[in-house]
Amino acid sequence: MRFVLPKGRLLRGSLEILRKAGYNIDKPGERKLIGRFNGNEVLLARAFDVPVYVEHGVDVGIAGSDVLEERGSDVFVPLELPFGKCRLSLAMPAESVVPLEDMDGYRIATKYERIARSYFSKLGVEVEIIKLSGSVELAPKVGVADAIVDIVETGETLRANGLVEVEKIMDVSAQLLVNRISQKTKFDEINTLILAIKEVVGDGT
Amino acid sequence: MGKLVLADSIQLSKVGKALRRTFELWGYGEVVLPTIEPYEETLRGGTKFAYNNQFYLIKPDVTSRLLRNYDIDFGKLYYIGEVLDGGVDGRWQAGVEFIGGETTFMTAEVLSVLMTALESLGIEEFYIDLGSLEVWRRATEGIEDFRETICRALERRNFGLIEKLPLDEEKKEEMWRLFNFRGRETDYGKLARILELVDDERIFVDLGTVRPLPYYRDVIFEVYSPKLGKPIGGGGEYSFRGRPAVGFALDLRALLGLAKVREKGSRRFLRGIGSFREARKLVSMGVPVEVER
Repeated sequence: MRFVLPKGRLLRGSLEILRKAGYNIDKPGERKLIGRFNGNEVLLARAFDVPVYVEHGVDVGIAGSDVLEERGSDVFVPLELPFGKCRLSLAMPAESVVPLEDMDGYRIATKYERIARSYFSKLGVEVEIIKLSGSVELAPKVGVADAIVDIVETGETLRANGLVEVEKIMDVSAQLLVNRISQKTKFDEINTLILAIKEVVGDGT
Repeated sequence: MGKLVLADSIQLSKVGKALRRTFELWGYGEVVLPTIEPYEETLRGGTKFAYNNQFYLIKPDVTSRLLRNYDIDFGKLYYIGEVLDGGVDGRWQAGVEFIGGETTFMTAEVLSVLMTALESLGIEEFYIDLGSLEVWRRATEGIEDFRETICRALERRNFGLIEKLPLDEEKKEEMWRLFNFRGRETDYGKLARILELVDDERIFVDLGTVRPLPYYRDVIFEVYSPKLGKPIGGGGEYSFRGRPAVGFALDLRALLGLAKVREKGSRRFLRGIGSFREARKLVSMGVPVEVER
């Protein structure tokens, strides 16, 4: 099987849960993006790209539900995993918080363009989405945006940048992703993996 | 599918030609639809625009257009074309619709058309999985309130969602068996009969198969190749203005990567005086030619 794991905050949890399930994958070296174990192949990719790799043919991956929602990839999601828990929220500078319905014309900085667009569209509020690739909290500080949509774990980064969480958009957690065709062509291998991880996770969700 | 490079465009045309030939051999007639349809809620997909205070759709889903535009008792139709889904990037599709026959027989025929269509493109390594909505309807009788969750569990292939439901263990066990059933023997007579009629080892019953479209009635199917991470296409049984119908659509982009279309017959190269007269004669006899300068 081919696995794709996310570089960054979910990598440790991903390796840990796979190890507990009997898939002892060594963390590939700093610059090495492909490793092997027991005849399996492991790729390391940007977290945002993991669902895309799985949708297009890599058998199994682990990614956050935020990333999957943003990418809108057509993959199976057999298990939610008990790590990477956080939330995707709307935040604004503490001194200029306004009700959501008053945000018409606001500029929103985010890595999550699709989720933010759909969120405001459902509210019927017209905003301008500014797509950034990282350090989104800086945008209101330098006047590039009026608010942000970003991941919140403890809220520490928001506070350090003078922002307050106004609204939670979605709960986020790591998820096991399976390619739709691999589920059929590697039925036994994939089901063995799912059941092994399910055993580790406990109630499976 | 975005901008096509010339080589892709030529390949797409070759794939279309091979499919067209196969569909015609089975007796299906081509439907050619206009690019733009007046907007109606029953039409799915398409890219909406306004003109002279009226809403229109550019290239919506073909099956929903056939349903709206035609009232036929019996028909075998096919189409090859681009469909849009709200944006400007289209998807090229080829599909057939068999309307007004006996469902099991129509399904067996449509699956046979599908198989020969893929073979005409040199694609021999593929599988077709059959699923049944009726099997799930029966399994969820008496627990209708949970159907939505069960459907979501199937779409995501996440049995955890079913495990969380307040159902007794026996029911969950039954669901688990259905969820993971994949094989060539089934208790459901309709699927068993289809397997028998089609009689090909590349067809399986996989009750976890789901199709995202709302109009399917019972039997659904998905076709895929181990060489490609995404389904090549799929289809199923639906109601065509109250009459039973079965159809499928193939994703031509997926086919482009797998197809090995070869030209039939060797091309004759001609040169010199009289070569155009000779070329005309050969072409009228169906022989491929190229006149060299």
